[in-house]
Amino acid sequence: MNMAWKEIRKNKARFSILGSIVFLVSLLTFIISGLANGLSQDNAALIKDLPNGHFYMNEEADETYNLSKIDSDIQEKILNEHQDAAALSIQMGFLYDEAGKQRSMAFVASTESMLFGQVKDGEIVLDRTLEDKGIKVGDTLTSSLYSGEFIVTGFVDQKKFSHAPVAYIHIENYKEMYRTNEMQLIFIPGADSLQEIPGLQSFSNKSFLNTIPSYSAEQMSLNMIIWFLVVISGLLFAIFFYMMNVQKMGLYGILKAIGVKTSALFKMMWTQMIVITALALVLSIMLSQAFNQFAPEGMPFHLTAGTTIQLSAVFLIIGFIGATLSGMQIKKAEPLQAIQQGEV
Amino acid sequence: MVIDDIRKTFINGEVKEEVLKGIHLSLKEGEVTALVGTSGSGKSTLLTIAAGLQSATGGKVLFEGENLAAMGSEQVRKIRASKFGFVFQFAHLVPFLTVEEQLLLMLDVSESVLKKEGRKQEVDLILGKVGIKHRRDAYPSSLSGGEKQRVAIARAIIHKPKVLFADEPTASLDSTRSKEVMSLIRDLTKSLNMTTLMVTHEEEMLSYADHIVKMSDGQVLQSKA
Repeated sequence: MNMAWKEIRKNKARFSILGSIVFLVSLLTFIISGLANGLSQDNAALIKDLPNGHFYMNEEADETYNLSKIDSDIQEKILNEHQDAAALSIQMGFLYDEAGKQRSMAFVASTESMLFGQVKDGEIVLDRTLEDKGIKVGDTLTSSLYSGEFIVTGFVDQKKFSHAPVAYIHIENYKEMYRTNEMQLIFIPGADSLQEIPGLQSFSNKSFLNTIPSYSAEQMSLNMIIWFLVVISGLLFAIFFYMMNVQKMGLYGILKAIGVKTSALFKMMWTQMIVITALALVLSIMLSQAFNQFAPEGMPFHLTAGTTIQLSAVFLIIGFIGATLSGMQIKKAEPLQAIQQGEV
Repeated sequence: MVIDDIRKTFINGEVKEEVLKGIHLSLKEGEVTALVGTSGSGKSTLLTIAAGLQSATGGKVLFEGENLAAMGSEQVRKIRASKFGFVFQFAHLVPFLTVEEQLLLMLDVSESVLKKEGRKQEVDLILGKVGIKHRRDAYPSSLSGGEKQRVAIARAIIHKPKVLFADEPTASLDSTRSKEVMSLIRDLTKSLNMTTLMVTHEEEMLSYADHIVKMSDGQVLQSKA
């Protein structure tokens, strides 16, 4: 007999309260997680969308990519050894559109590579968010750092860096704008691309993200909120089941007296925890996915199925741990004590 | 069931209290044995030891030729679930189960071999026997004290136990209900050929017993049929 379900059915209000709290906490967690992912994409989609590999920057750059300058001899040597490698530079700056409106950009220039947008001298390829803001193919854009004009030749999807849309420019235009002949970084794709290069420091894609100003601070604070919420939900389960178990000690004692196994009582509690969590999670997943679809334009919200499944599993595990810890009282329930007490 | 030289000593710090001082009893099938005595005479302790709910300091409880006191806790639990039935002073029903579900739970616990239909028929039969068939879908909160105790009796016998343990089964009932419940216990003991061991302090209820054991200060003072 499914006693767990029968108890839930008979005590709807009690279990609904727990369910609604878990629902609210999990919904909040999903939304904050969506925002964290969204901000992460907004901050570093350019890097996150690259295949696994390693970035190299000058050892003297103090792990700050825009202070890095790669010696051109070293660059040439590496690019000759690795056909798929690219030297690149990223600089924040401004462009003026035809209406004279100033636009913040992340200028990206690279040596010939499939991994980064390639343009000819005087051309520019922009992130598609700028198309939504009225810039069209064929428009001319200007910069106070560049003597000529950039002609927009196309748009790319989801290319952001440091919360700004990426603008791919030609390497010679970059050199003119930033008065330099050296590139900042070298990227070698491939999981086994890690190698010791004298004078250069290597970074995996993930560790390179942390060199982006504000990236780790932003992600750490959001992740801290997420994990706090997860821990709070575990505590909620522990407290709720603790209180319920305290009230049910007499009942557990009687059930043990008539021969019910202690393990059956634990299973009953676990079933209740799983049913409540699963229902709450289904609701919050539905709502957060709806939010994912209809989030206001401009809000960096990106909640993937993978993150949702991962967080749901964490909620179930933490709920299980919380319920089990509080359920240790079940082991202490004494049939004799229960019999001598009054009605359960 | 044979209770052989059962002794029980409670130790509280340096104080030792001997509550059972070597009890011998032989319980027969189809008979109600009533344990009577003043408060503290050890009758409830004896019943709970015989039922495997607590261990004795010494002696044996022989059930179907095996010593309960020498068994592991899981083995004792299995016997309690399948071969013993319990009626307590309070009904102690599961508050979120209906009358019918209380009995079905007991069939689950005793690992009854009956299939779904057979279980339904058994529940019908027992509810008919205790006279509360019409309350099968009721929850304990809507039952009267007498009805609750009838459900508790039905739960105690649905799996056809060999021994029924009843600890003050009428203590929470009025005189009329008490007589009804006692009469029911006696009739079921006869019809199901159970061994019933009952603790009571009510003289009036002794007329329903086949065998009366009077206890005092942890010893059997008098045993008469």
